[in-house]
Amino acid sequence: MAVILNLVFWIIILYIIGKLFFGRRRKVYRWLQRELPLWEEKNIISPDQGNAILNIYKLKRVRPKARMDMVKVLTLVGAVFVGLGVIFFVGSNWQRIPAHLRTAMLLAVTVSTLYLGYVFSYEKEGFTQLGKSLLLLASLFWGGTVALIGQIYNIPTSDNWYIVLLWAFPIVPIALFFNNNYVHILASFLFVIWNFLYTVSNSTPNYYYPLIVFFLMLPTAHSLLISRRINIAGLLAASIYCCFNKYEWLSLFISVGLLAYYLLRKEERVYLYTATLSFISWAIAYFTVRELSPNFYFLIPVGIISYLTYKDAVRENAVLCLITLLVWLNLTFYSYSRIFGYAFPVRNFIVLQALLGAGVYVAGIISQARKYAFFEIYKVFGYLVAFVSIYLLSFRSLLEIEMSGGSRVYFYVALYIIAFIALAVINEIRKGGFRIKADQWEFFALAAALLGSAVILLNPQAALINTIVANSVLVIFALTNIFLGVEIKKPPVFSAGIIIFALFIITRYIDVGWKLKEKSLFFIIGGLVILSLGTFLEKQRRRIIERMKV
Amino acid sequence: MMNKKLIAAIIGLLWVLLALGMIASKQHTLRTGKIVVLETVPVDPRDFLRGDYVVLSYKISRLDLNQIESEKPFYRRGENVYVRLKAQGRFWQAVAVQSKKSSYGGAMFIKGRVEYCYDKQLTLNYGIESYFVPEGQGREIEKNMTGSKSSVSVEAIVDSGGNALIKKVYIDR
Repeated sequence: MAVILNLVFWIIILYIIGKLFFGRRRKVYRWLQRELPLWEEKNIISPDQGNAILNIYKLKRVRPKARMDMVKVLTLVGAVFVGLGVIFFVGSNWQRIPAHLRTAMLLAVTVSTLYLGYVFSYEKEGFTQLGKSLLLLASLFWGGTVALIGQIYNIPTSDNWYIVLLWAFPIVPIALFFNNNYVHILASFLFVIWNFLYTVSNSTPNYYYPLIVFFLMLPTAHSLLISRRINIAGLLAASIYCCFNKYEWLSLFISVGLLAYYLLRKEERVYLYTATLSFISWAIAYFTVRELSPNFYFLIPVGIISYLTYKDAVRENAVLCLITLLVWLNLTFYSYSRIFGYAFPVRNFIVLQALLGAGVYVAGIISQARKYAFFEIYKVFGYLVAFVSIYLLSFRSLLEIEMSGGSRVYFYVALYIIAFIALAVINEIRKGGFRIKADQWEFFALAAALLGSAVILLNPQAALINTIVANSVLVIFALTNIFLGVEIKKPPVFSAGIIIFALFIITRYIDVGWKLKEKSLFFIIGGLVILSLGTFLEKQRRRIIERMKV
Repeated sequence: MMNKKLIAAIIGLLWVLLALGMIASKQHTLRTGKIVVLETVPVDPRDFLRGDYVVLSYKISRLDLNQIESEKPFYRRGENVYVRLKAQGRFWQAVAVQSKKSSYGGAMFIKGRVEYCYDKQLTLNYGIESYFVPEGQGREIEKNMTGSKSSVSVEAIVDSGGNALIKKVYIDR
């Protein structure tokens, strides 16, 4: 339950942040990279100006994608179709030809195709593409041959991993010695499948898979992005799978390997992202194995990854680092709640997220004052975590779950967090912070969140009061955003306030309406009211944003 | 150029050797093994047929360690065990389970992998649980295996190492 709750919560946060923060920005960057050569071609800007624009956003010039050659597409699709056709034919178990004759024929066709692939690649000029496709076809035929032998001798489906392994390994030499990218991709994909089949069938962690990927597939995929992505995704999937199977050592092994790869190939940041995510899997897997011993070793990789994230300015990974840290804190809370026998109800989990979110937000304010990197990520992340938590707490039904049990302890934990945040804020005020009006607005929302959380923890039985408190905090959040947006003249902040306000009204309306017997009329009238209110708010929003621009 | 040709030849040879190796190991079992006839048990039809193969479950797949001789009360998942078989009428039945195969006066042993062991109930996998059938023909076997009593039996060959292979599937009408 603890693991699932943690995963769901952080996936929601990660998705929102990804969408809000990076999704659109990346889309715009890609568009810019695509359009820039066109502007240069039409002499709207000079190449120097183009470079200057790219420099502002720290973007690299992208090479125009090579157009797909028609011959390439046709031979490749043809090879894949024929290969799949043969595999399906094997599957149909056609028995008019004796089994061994079928095997001999297929083996002969496989080896002949391999030979033809070689001939067209290296001996006949001008047929390189056909040769490459034939080598892929030979690799597919080889899979068909192995499957056919497995079928003849009724190798059980629980041993399918063995068939896939026998398919994947012997085609690797084609990928390596003939530089055949298609076969490399096919082998990478087959190894991913093999890993899962092996783990499921044998109920044991598969250490061979990361070894194969780290020492064979990744080093040989240096110029092949798709293959690298498949292998990295395979490793990450294997690591995540460990969470559900208590394979904490395998997860750690994969995480360390990915981190080592990042240190070797820093230009590929995907290694750092996946290493961070894999370490989260390790923390969860470790927790599932040793619930009663908090994982303090985890702070070592967190420290290393955070250091690398700062040093190499990997912006996106700052979000993952924050999630890593918060997941660890939550798992540690869980462990201690188990050790001391205190219940850790959903409500307390969410209140703690609100507090931690507030803590991260304060870290963002302090970083901003001292001009540290990533302060905006801290602020957006902290704000989102706090907001999502308070929004969840605004549902009375959630506050009514497990109203008793161990909450006093979490009240003290919350007090510590609040005291820590308060000290940081006081220290900041002492150094001259929180003087401008915008900061004061932020401080106001922060104080409301902290106070609200403390009240909920102090008195968990009073569900009605707690619902009112959480809803009040939500309204304060909305108002803060609206006034802050106007104050600092930032339309997105202002719009976020309007969205929170609208969300609050709609949610509460549905909340109330759901309990009524006569739902239809209530919802029709309510819908109309909300539509009018929405139109009014949207008009006001646009008017104010227009005014801000002026 | 020659190098590439040599590599292609080596890969081709490797594939042929691997295929022949797979065939040879199975043929060895078929040639040297002894025939045992095993009784199947009805299985849930929803889990029964997946695509073009039939899932077979045997009476010797689930063993009650209270009923048969066993050297220990618990076996861990994934462990290889040897089940001693004895002919009783037409079918061969399990009489003992042990971790290592021993020469027991020429007794017949079949090797199994522990799937599950709880409360002295042992579930084993012998590597003969899938029977591949021509497209669309699995339904007939399915009909004979469902209901209160199965009328499907399997003739398997077991080699000296305990490895088993399906030779024939009988459907008694």
